[in-house]
Amino acid sequence: MLLSVDGLCKTYASFPNPPVQVLHDVSFGLDAGQALGLVGESGSGKSTIAKCLMALTRPEQGSITYDGTDVVRARGADLLRFRRDVQMVFQDPYGSLNPRMTVEELVGEGLLVHRLEPTPAARRDRVAEILRTVGLNPDDRGRYPRSFSGGQRQRIAIARALAVQPRILVCDEPVAALDVSVQAQVINLLQDMQRQFGLAILFIAHDLAVVRHLCERIVVLHKGRVVEQGTRAEIFGSPREAYTRALLDAVPVPDPAVGRARRRQLQHQS
Amino acid sequence: MSAPAVSVRAPRAGLGLSAFEASVIGLVVLLLAVAVVGPLVAPESVYRSDIANALLPPGAGHWFGTDDQGRDVFWRLVVGARTTLLSAFLVVTLYSLIGVAVATIGAAGPRWLDETLMRITDIGLALPGMVVALGFAAAMGPSLRSAIIAMAITGWPITARLLRGIMRQTMEAPFVAGARALGVSRWRLMTCHVLPNSLDVLIVKWAGDVGTTVLVLASLSFIGVGAQPPSAEWGATIAGARGYVSTAWWTVVMPGAAVAITSIAFGLLGEIIQVRRDPSLRGN
Repeated sequence: MLLSVDGLCKTYASFPNPPVQVLHDVSFGLDAGQALGLVGESGSGKSTIAKCLMALTRPEQGSITYDGTDVVRARGADLLRFRRDVQMVFQDPYGSLNPRMTVEELVGEGLLVHRLEPTPAARRDRVAEILRTVGLNPDDRGRYPRSFSGGQRQRIAIARALAVQPRILVCDEPVAALDVSVQAQVINLLQDMQRQFGLAILFIAHDLAVVRHLCERIVVLHKGRVVEQGTRAEIFGSPREAYTRALLDAVPVPDPAVGRARRRQLQHQS
Repeated sequence: MSAPAVSVRAPRAGLGLSAFEASVIGLVVLLLAVAVVGPLVAPESVYRSDIANALLPPGAGHWFGTDDQGRDVFWRLVVGARTTLLSAFLVVTLYSLIGVAVATIGAAGPRWLDETLMRITDIGLALPGMVVALGFAAAMGPSLRSAIIAMAITGWPITARLLRGIMRQTMEAPFVAGARALGVSRWRLMTCHVLPNSLDVLIVKWAGDVGTTVLVLASLSFIGVGAQPPSAEWGATIAGARGYVSTAWWTVVMPGAAVAITSIAFGLLGEIIQVRRDPSLRGN
């Protein structure tokens, strides 16, 4: 197992209100090259898990182990290696790119920080190559994020993450802020990248349709607890938990007959 | 966090300046032009005494009259504009640099260093700047250079405190978390991500501060710890002429008006920039 999360607990202080425990004993694992979906409604603790995973905040209990390294307590060179190997794509493509850096600076920053391409010329070439890989025009590398659309910005964010050749990509609702037509493009890009580079992807979403398309394994989260986890077939074919079923039933189906049947069922229940 | 750089201003022709804004900007440009070009075109007699023509009232030969040494008041103001404005720019730039350095080191460094720097800043804020500057300048020996250094030393705490607060806000932005997750060092995080996205506010402050500094610098020179006679610096000019207030008002009122107008012009410029940056303030 490349990354394992074991017994994670996280509480946020919200003085003067009592502290809120947002994660209760969360455990799951991610294999190399695997796409894992983390689903749950708003407030279920998905983003907090991402923050803990990226070592941006410390859980007060539990452990996160990446390739033998204790991520929670890692420092110095160990932490830097982890920071190279595990990259993240954020939900908001407008806020997650520094507005004062050009595309080249944004995409090349990882190369610079991790000293992967020592000369500026080599860095330039590498940036151009990655931009082509994610479907952007390398001629645009001198422009600023503001001159790109949401979908293009998310491509920049993906290029920025992939530049350092990570082994794991954590995507926190990467398409939730995008138009539906653009969502598919970004999802397909992520899938291509996963296959091309053997990336492991942790895909955080509330949209089950997207997760179903991309992820082999799925973890269902509810109020900070893992309520069910299993393969795509298990979760979508025969969900064991009531919450998972409710979540699946909430997925809109583009078929009026199904919609009518559901509504009738709900009326019978009430 | 708001998305950056989305203009909500209704499209207007050109820069869309109001008459008031245009006149303030025009005044500032005029002052700058005088400071740059003035000393080049001024007659040499600005520093030479000509007792025969002393204390002439404003008229055709001498627009603003002459002082007790028979020097032309108008041309002395023109020559003094460069000294005054350059000194004020220098003071504000110097203490802005110190303020930026203190805020950045505090933000990038360990917590104890941040706390220590901010407590020192608090002490600096608590001391009346002008009195401390007066003390420093007097201790270094009265001269324009002493006054500039003294004001640079006492001016930085406000900048440091303001910028540290803004940086704390900027650090909440998602791209800062993103840079941390990428493995960016703490120093690079501050200088490449947080600081460039926090400096906007200093542009506003810079213009307003030049106005205040012109006034304080002239005050220091007036008291006698700044520029010394026969310098054409405005404060020194007022100090040299203060014995003639009742008999030759133009020797005092003209440089006094120059100080007031310059100070107000830069202060208003600062306000205009601020309002243009933040449309929610418009209309007040």
